Amino acid sequence: MEIKIRKDIVKTDYLIIGGGVAGLQSAITAAALGVDVLIAEKADTRRSGSGCGGNDHYMCYIPECHGDDFQKVLSEIGEGMEGGPWQDPAMLKKMMLRTKSIVERWESYGINMKPTGEYRFEGHTMPDRQCYHLKYDGHNQKMCLTKEARKNGAKIMNKVFINDILTNDEGRAVGAIGFSLAEDEPEIIVFQAKAVLVATAQAMRMYPNVNPAFIFNTHSCPAAAGGAAIAYRAGAKLVNIDVPYRHAGVKGFARSGKATWFGVLSDINGDSISPFTDKPDRKRGDAMMDIYPGIFGDRLESAQGPTYMNCTSYTEEDHAYQHQQFQCEGIDSITDYLDQRGIDLHKSMIEFGTYDYSLAQRGIDIDLNAGTNVPGIYAAGICCGNVRGNITSASVWGDIAAESVAEYVKTIPEYDVSKHPLIQQRADFYNELMNRQNGAQWLEANSSLQVIMNDYIGLKVRSEDMMRAGIKYLADLKSYAKKEIGCEDAHQLMRTMELFDLIDLAEAVAITSRNRKESRGMHKRIDYTFTNPLLNNKFQTIRKTPDGEVILEWRNKVK
Amino acid sequence: MPPVIDKEKCVDCGTCAQICPLDVIRYAKDENGKKHVVVKYPYECWHCRACVKDCPKDAITMRYPLSHMMFAMEIPEEKKN
Ligand SMILES: Cc1cc2nc3c(=O)[nH]c(=O)nc-3n(C[C@H](O)[C@H](O)[C@H](O)COP(=O)(O)OP(=O)(O)OC[C@H]3O[C@@H](n4cnc5c(N)ncnc54)[C@H](O)[C@@H]3O)c2cc1C
Ligand code: SF4
Ligand code: SF4
Repeated sequence: MEIKIRKDIVKTDYLIIGGGVAGLQSAITAAALGVDVLIAEKADTRRSGSGCGGNDHYMCYIPECHGDDFQKVLSEIGEGMEGGPWQDPAMLKKMMLRTKSIVERWESYGINMKPTGEYRFEGHTMPDRQCYHLKYDGHNQKMCLTKEARKNGAKIMNKVFINDILTNDEGRAVGAIGFSLAEDEPEIIVFQAKAVLVATAQAMRMYPNVNPAFIFNTHSCPAAAGGAAIAYRAGAKLVNIDVPYRHAGVKGFARSGKATWFGVLSDINGDSISPFTDKPDRKRGDAMMDIYPGIFGDRLESAQGPTYMNCTSYTEEDHAYQHQQFQCEGIDSITDYLDQRGIDLHKSMIEFGTYDYSLAQRGIDIDLNAGTNVPGIYAAGICCGNVRGNITSASVWGDIAAESVAEYVKTIPEYDVSKHPLIQQRADFYNELMNRQNGAQWLEANSSLQVIMNDYIGLKVRSEDMMRAGIKYLADLKSYAKKEIGCEDAHQLMRTMELFDLIDLAEAVAITSRNRKESRGMHKRIDYTFTNPLLNNKFQTIRKTPDGEVILEWRNKVK
Repeated sequence: MPPVIDKEKCVDCGTCAQICPLDVIRYAKDENGKKHVVVKYPYECWHCRACVKDCPKDAITMRYPLSHMMFAMEIPEEKKN
């Protein structure tokens, strides 16, 4: 068979790849500013991505609640979950100053930001510090954002996977190529656009997770698979991907949303192991999980024992509250599971675990306008590598990107992409994959990717020889996968192209990790055990030239 | 199969296939050209329950696979409230 290419090129000024929180917010704002905008989403924006069933903590600065001392706000946030060294302080500052406006807008879209009638802040909070996480009810957030985007005139194409950004000879973004998943047979779609937003979320499925045999058991939505590679292949810089990020939560059933549990971290006897609290604290939660998500893994590996989320001393009201909050947070599958298996939180503690390394908030390097080093490519959300803040960051940088794009597109002429060489190259490759009989399955290669990443570019220790081997094996895997994988339908073709995205990112992770000749945080080199002070306040970036040459650079943090 | 569809209740409206973030459920034509939903890629389910919530006929329940087992421990008797 020969895969169809849709005859008409889809033309828009602003193409958004990924209709998650960042993509939808950007579409809402851009459309309101009169920009012709289109979202291409591989699932359906009403239910896609990590915000699919809801979220319940929105980090924000509301002066009426937090006071006028903004420096204090920044320094307290810097100590908590959304703090840490791997973000540009200038970005955090700009982001936080916009949060009040977004909270008010979300309320106007029909998302309940004040379930108790007033702003209430809970969770993710160290003792003696102010709370900055607004407790909201996000169960319908994706529906509301989608409705608002459509109301403002944004167009949405669901079930469309985007594979590559098209750039022209000047190196500027001029469109994209992808395919539709609506039918079993894929249909290639070419887009012509003046600006493109990459809002594809983090790379899940690169490292083995809680149950390596089931690679979709991941803490964030596993649909997110290496979309940052789309920007990387088009020349955009990635940043901080050499410094691992780990999350934590329910051990066997991977799921973010740990702060919605407000019990006490306990040992097997039910005794607190937390330095911060020995009784359930609805207002603060147990901040231990935020500042040291590795605790669960470390305690297991050193045989100190399993660590549990202990809710057994909750009042009845606490139990009812947590149950209801799981729905706002979109993690009601946890309660459904507990009910089905007859596990009662009055009596039983649930083991928590440290999760795999993911590229959450490690990825595309953006500037204060949400732009990248490639003209016309913007990025927002957790596919970015120099900002933190999850929902906050996704919504704020999506909003900022829209404003930047509204100005940028006024200066850019139309560029005809119909003869772009990548279109035929991609079509040929898809045809090879779809017509290969008795081919390998994408899943075989994804599992080998996880083995290589775990064993050679892993989290425990790293060294020159290990990473050299890992880089060689990744190249082999890529070449075998290109020659051997066969796909039966559009779904498998998407998973296969996601796999190649993941391998591209994995190579970038390996190359940058090898180049960081020091130990820092979770990047532990056995051959460079010291921390090099000359690299304090510096971020490492990686990019590819159009000829495929890899460029590694160090840049100063933007203060 | 993580999402279990009760064929007695299901009217093959396609909603679950449309909204599933992981494309686990497909809306495919049979030999007569009529569309039906099929749980085609069950191992890719993330158990988000979007399909359960959005099904207009309450036709879907979740089965949580043993690969996603939670580890629970009863607290000692003397510590119980
Ligand atoms: C259970 C859970 C609870 C959470 N709770 C909170 C919370 O309370 N507070 C908070 O701040 N954060 C929370 N988070 C994190 C938060 O949901 C994410 O940080 C946020 O959704 C990131 O937004 P995003 O737009 O970057 O990515 P997403 O919202 O994940 O969206 C990415 C979108 O891109 C699409 N996509 C990806 N690749 C492609 C492609 N190639 N082509 C087309 N489409 C593509 C995906 O399908 C998806 O729709 C939680 C996460 C989970 C999983
Ligand atoms: S949403 Fe419900 S009724 Fe509609 S196809 Fe799915 S299971 Fe059937
Ligand atoms: S639970 Fe979520 S991922 Fe699983 S089939 Fe339903 S909608 Fe899809």
